[in-house]
Amino acid sequence: MPTTQFSLDIRKLDNFAYDMSRCIKCKGCYWVEHTYMPGVRFSTRCPSNTWNDFDAYGAFGKMRIGLGIIEGKLKWTPKLLEIVYADPLCGACDVGCKRNLDLEIGLGLEAMRVKAVQDGAGPMPAHKKIAQNIAKNHNQFGAPHENRKKWLTSDIKVADKADVVYFVGCSASYVNPEIAQATAKILNATGTPFMLMKDEWCCGNTLFSVGMLDEARELAKRNIEAVKALGAKTVLTACAEGYRMWKVDYPKLLNIATSDLGFNVMHLVEFADEALKKGSLKLTKPVDVRLAYHDSCGISRLADPWTPYSGERGWMGMVNPRLKRRRGTTGLYAQPRNILKAIPGVTFVEMPRTRENSFCCGAGRGTKEAFPDLASFSAKHRLEEVREVGAEALVSACPWCKSNFAQAVKENGDKIRVMDIAELILASLQA
Amino acid sequence: MGISKKAYSALESIVGSKYISDDPAVCEGYRSGPGGYESGLGYERVMTKIPAVVVLPRTTEEVQRIVRICNRYSVPYVPYSTGFYGPRSHCHVENELLIDMKRLNDFEIDEKHMFAVVGTGVIYSPLQEEAMKRGMYVIIGGGGAQASVVANLIGDGWSPLSHRIGLPHRRILGTELVLPDGELVKMGSLAVGDDPFWGDGPGPDLRGLLRGFTGLRGCLGIVTKMAVKLLPFQPEKPMPTGIAPNTALALPEKRMKWINYQVPNKAAQVKAMFEISKAEIAGAVTKVPLFWRSIAKAECKEDFWDLWGKESEETVKNFHIVRVLLIGFTSEEQMKYDENVLNDIMAELGSQPRATKPSDESWIKNADSAGMWLMCGSYVSVDYIIETLSHATQHGEFYADLKKKYTPPLMPDYGDPGWFQSFELGHQGYSEFLVYWDQDEDTTGVDHFYVETSKMNIKNRFYTSLLGPHQPLYLTGPMYGPNYHQWLLKVKDEFDPLWVCHPPTPLAHDVFVEKAEWMKSIKDWEVPKKFPMPKWE
Repeated sequence: MPTTQFSLDIRKLDNFAYDMSRCIKCKGCYWVEHTYMPGVRFSTRCPSNTWNDFDAYGAFGKMRIGLGIIEGKLKWTPKLLEIVYADPLCGACDVGCKRNLDLEIGLGLEAMRVKAVQDGAGPMPAHKKIAQNIAKNHNQFGAPHENRKKWLTSDIKVADKADVVYFVGCSASYVNPEIAQATAKILNATGTPFMLMKDEWCCGNTLFSVGMLDEARELAKRNIEAVKALGAKTVLTACAEGYRMWKVDYPKLLNIATSDLGFNVMHLVEFADEALKKGSLKLTKPVDVRLAYHDSCGISRLADPWTPYSGERGWMGMVNPRLKRRRGTTGLYAQPRNILKAIPGVTFVEMPRTRENSFCCGAGRGTKEAFPDLASFSAKHRLEEVREVGAEALVSACPWCKSNFAQAVKENGDKIRVMDIAELILASLQA
Repeated sequence: MGISKKAYSALESIVGSKYISDDPAVCEGYRSGPGGYESGLGYERVMTKIPAVVVLPRTTEEVQRIVRICNRYSVPYVPYSTGFYGPRSHCHVENELLIDMKRLNDFEIDEKHMFAVVGTGVIYSPLQEEAMKRGMYVIIGGGGAQASVVANLIGDGWSPLSHRIGLPHRRILGTELVLPDGELVKMGSLAVGDDPFWGDGPGPDLRGLLRGFTGLRGCLGIVTKMAVKLLPFQPEKPMPTGIAPNTALALPEKRMKWINYQVPNKAAQVKAMFEISKAEIAGAVTKVPLFWRSIAKAECKEDFWDLWGKESEETVKNFHIVRVLLIGFTSEEQMKYDENVLNDIMAELGSQPRATKPSDESWIKNADSAGMWLMCGSYVSVDYIIETLSHATQHGEFYADLKKKYTPPLMPDYGDPGWFQSFELGHQGYSEFLVYWDQDEDTTGVDHFYVETSKMNIKNRFYTSLLGPHQPLYLTGPMYGPNYHQWLLKVKDEFDPLWVCHPPTPLAHDVFVEKAEWMKSIKDWEVPKKFPMPKWE
């Protein structure tokens, strides 16, 4: 049987035609993995298809739509753009599919957005505004660039030269300074010298996620060069979206492996977990709270390192050379739980959907900006779980999650406290 | 062209604009293939269409009103629960309405009387979880944990656990069925009150109307609500472990245990199933195809072929496993007693238990049907029969023999005789034959094999469960009837005189054979000059 060449390059939608043609509508992308199915409530893990019930909004529908685009049967319309973009690309579908079928669902969805941009139809107007903001002020909010380090307080020690560079990201720099401050203070408390970027710019997450690859690639190059110029060995971030961007999508954009970046990418929860084990981080002050932890997608199911791949597919769909699939198995699932359970006074409770089965907050990857209803729906749906387990606080490890949940709590009039894990660690540090 | 504006407006007035769409992208999301059950086969290519309109009702009453609109405006429609059942659950004619039932997801459980009431949108794994939380359980059918409970129970609904729980139609209690013209039929105790606790009702048992033997795939109305019998389970809840893809249920070791026995030959395999059944022990007794073991061990498709490539006709021929699930329903002592009895039976047959993992990867909560697509990308269970234990085991051997002629394009499986197990404590034997192929190859051989299996069953006097909606009715009906096809068509005409409900089922495979040129060479049965149904295209 003849073989076909393919790669995991999202610039060509055709690369994922095989995956799209093999979707069997088992909806492993939609339901919580059956072994972990918590019951009739909270049975789904796809925000888009829970928000809109038509099959088109689930990955199984989008795979068919993707084929329709490849075959030229579908024209770009406002509805088609909504189907493609009303989706936080949270990776639930991808790891769900790879439970059994190993289809590259997540990459196929990214490639559909790239195709929308290539065809001049995408991204959504809200995304274009973000692109303008980034081009002008190097952050996605359009805030003055000179305010980027306003979060930095006098009691935080920043080194001129260190192995670690703390990449703060747009959200913690401008919207959630408490996360940036807590992260920096944790580093200080553990005696870990860290630098800041000389002139930090946006990581480009939204640009990449909505299919604006050229613009995202330029940012990737610029940021990577800046880290190399600093001589840092580790880029540390407390933002799950930023973590995924640096670790997975920068290499993807540059067609290199994560291991070829020349430095490590680390999230605060990895750092803190290691520091706890080494004894350099001591969590001694009780924090009396019953809390639940929300697995932010960027550090969980989307966190497996990237390796470029090109090869051939032949008989029975076998690929050569072998392809090590990214199934989300190396996500940072244990680390945040270790940390939270180590804080005296904390009562840790799991929500019905955890780890790779978590229900995304709905904010990420351009969703909140273009589809605020979906982001709000998703966060409120997740908050129902918090109430179900009787938690007083919801803790995540991403400023985008925190902002979205906090807004949903406010709209609901809930009494649930929304916190970032950095804040909680800091609260347990301070004597 | 779509459906008329009047019909669309009428439907929209029932569900509201949010739950109806004729947008091409939305409708494309309901395309049947090319992947899925019967992936990329001629039937899928020739017989399925993109719906013209999709509607998502919320209640039985809305379904009734939608169906009445369809009758008034002559709009063909197909009920659709999850879409997993391949092309046969999708639109077959142009300008068709797809009624997506996923919003009928109401769920109630009556713990005291041990039943659950589910809407069509409820799938198996949540039902099983809710049952297990309360010390009960159900069978998750071979269709998988993601299958609609209602759709699976009116079609198939069995698994290895059918050894103890029994056949699916026995677990269907009070049920609501919207007939093809919109009239509501309440079955079982629902016919005389609001309590669906009982399956039998006044008059004839209409559950045959729902499923016959294996269902009519949505051509005789729409089930909107069903009470399902739950059975008592052991009290310790199996706990999920691992990160996908390596997840499993950790079994409470003193209450649940899978044990594999390698037996010397097929006769011993059947004898073992008889003896285990006579002793009235075990929750499941099964023999699965050897390649399932390779699927379980493989990390990826390529791994599977590495492992499977090491097998041969000889190893397959000598693979005689009896896999037994012990459940201490009443006590730990009961399970220990069952295990002792089991070991005595197997020792007499010259077999010893093999070490197995103290976990369940499939059947208790996650009937893992999606894994069937791993090796080749395309799959269908071409037949399943329920016979005696000794008869059922021969069935697979005939299939394996016929299959050789069609390999390739079918997957090389070294003559594996399929899946075989005990049902209802040995009173029935179950045989299922599964085939796999690469849909990028010429699949004519698979299309031919499908129909040739019917001829083989007829010739060798095997029953087949896929008479009507999966095979040409004019091939199977005269042979199994002699007038089965005439009765089925009379029933269809009586309940659906306009044939608006999922046309052209139950003549869909007949129509396929007529339309597909490559099927002509094997068509050696009589059909009328014109099929007795309205023409939709």
